Amino acid sequence: MSRSSNIPAAALFLRLVLWLLAFVTITPFLLLLLTSIKSKADVLKGAFALPAYPHFENYVDAWNAGHFNIYFWNSIIVVIPVVAVSVFLGLLTGFAFAYLSFPLRRTLFAILTLGMMVPAEAFIIPLYYEMRYLGLINTYAALIIPQIAMSIPFSTIFLASAMQQLPEEVLEAAVLDGAGRFHILRKIVIPLMIPAMSTLALFLFIWTWNEFLIPFILVNDDAYRTLPLGMLFFQGRYTVNTPVLTAGAVIVIFPLILTYLVFQRRFIAGLTAGATK
Amino acid sequence: MKRSALDGTQQTNFIYLLPGLLLYAAFVFGPIVAALGLSLTSWDGLSVPKWVGLGNYADLFSDSRFYIALRNNAELMIFYCVLPLVLGITLAACVWNLKQREQLALRTFLFLPYIMPTAVLGIIWAWLYNPAFGPFNQFLRAVGLGRFALPWLGDFNFVLPAVGIVATWYFFGFCMVIFLTGIQRIDPSLFDAAKVDGASARKTFFWITLPLLMPEIRVVLLLTVIASIKSFDLIFTMTRGGPANATLVPNIYMYQLGFELNRFGAAAAIAIVGALLTFAINYAIHRLVGSRSKGVA
Repeated sequence: MSRSSNIPAAALFLRLVLWLLAFVTITPFLLLLLTSIKSKADVLKGAFALPAYPHFENYVDAWNAGHFNIYFWNSIIVVIPVVAVSVFLGLLTGFAFAYLSFPLRRTLFAILTLGMMVPAEAFIIPLYYEMRYLGLINTYAALIIPQIAMSIPFSTIFLASAMQQLPEEVLEAAVLDGAGRFHILRKIVIPLMIPAMSTLALFLFIWTWNEFLIPFILVNDDAYRTLPLGMLFFQGRYTVNTPVLTAGAVIVIFPLILTYLVFQRRFIAGLTAGATK
Repeated sequence: MKRSALDGTQQTNFIYLLPGLLLYAAFVFGPIVAALGLSLTSWDGLSVPKWVGLGNYADLFSDSRFYIALRNNAELMIFYCVLPLVLGITLAACVWNLKQREQLALRTFLFLPYIMPTAVLGIIWAWLYNPAFGPFNQFLRAVGLGRFALPWLGDFNFVLPAVGIVATWYFFGFCMVIFLTGIQRIDPSLFDAAKVDGASARKTFFWITLPLLMPEIRVVLLLTVIASIKSFDLIFTMTRGGPANATLVPNIYMYQLGFELNRFGAAAAIAIVGALLTFAINYAIHRLVGSRSKGVA
């Protein structure tokens, strides 16, 4: 066989393997979706058997029994202020690190990056007692404030390096025109930073939505649980009722899949920019 | 650094810095320092903490369960770091010269697990692995491999790889995406030159792609190593460290000592050892992978 006819065959085989791998990767999600519309009797027929008709009532059951009306709103009540305040504070701190001079600059920067490396697991015990001392255990503040604080290092570094890439001449011209710094930040820097800010917001949304440890430790009242936590306690009660359990899991991950599919290009571009910086 | 046109007096500069830094100091840096202090005491969460110096650390290093946790963590690094790295770089090398659309579609699918909450993934996989009605064993039985249908999360020998595979599944698409951007950064004329010289695909990969991807390899190693040391959600939701400590890792042990047994000083000591381990491995990766990449590029 000549080499030229061999290569397309090999390339085709390789692509087949790649697509098979992609299929295997998303199979858990497909199985989840399939099982969530089965009846309990359908489940006994086998994991891959199709149900006679879709049982959407599982979603209603999961939503009601799993207190998802509470958890879903809690997740939203937490994620909005965390993303908004983190981006705002990241802009201010990032602006300072990008353009301004102040003492202990290097030390402060090192202390900030420390917060990106030390996992929350390492300081959750003192944080728990601090929140208890402040009387914030079992409040939205316990879910919101630590997550804003934890996001500050990444927000600062991400936005500072994006700001450093802005054309210096534009800013200098604005200074020469006699514009104040708040004015320049609001009218020139922020509009130019919209793409970076929205990428950052996307990341903070996913991280906050997915956070497990903070709500697990700092909140034990059902009224303040967020979706991943709700899922854990839901699992405890519904291990046997697989269709309702899987419907619950679909409810938790559905907003994430939707967000990912809508923003996926921006997501991947931002991820690699953030990670390799 | 040259002074920016926007720079002002130091007092007014601090206005920008202060809100973020204060919040960070109060709820992250402060607690980190407090954890360091706490690790030097014996504390049940109620009475006054008793100073024990390095006693907690001495106890840990003569505690056989702590060594089991460290060894499990080291073994898990094969699944958290090595496998995703190797798979990711191989896939990136295969995918990058596919057409834009096909590349995007594959990337979208393979990256999907990474955006999910690991706690929920743990719950989903616990169901997949269920010995009686889990799809995994049903699949094995369906294809005639029924004798391999094991109670995966209850089997002392297979539970660690079973949990590890989930971490590999979670990370390999993420690694591939980082390597893909890395390959796109490489000057295409290098690949053209290799083609002109008649280099095989394998030679091109080992002599051009791999050495020039060292910065990305460093990033991927760094992120996956940190993730492996902080692994908690996935293991907690799948096995809680069991059976018989087979998936016990330092953070699960820390949770048990702190929040189940109220031995907060000892728990803080584990947290600090974990953080120190992260720094040490981080430093080693910077020295090993960092210096080599400088030599090449």
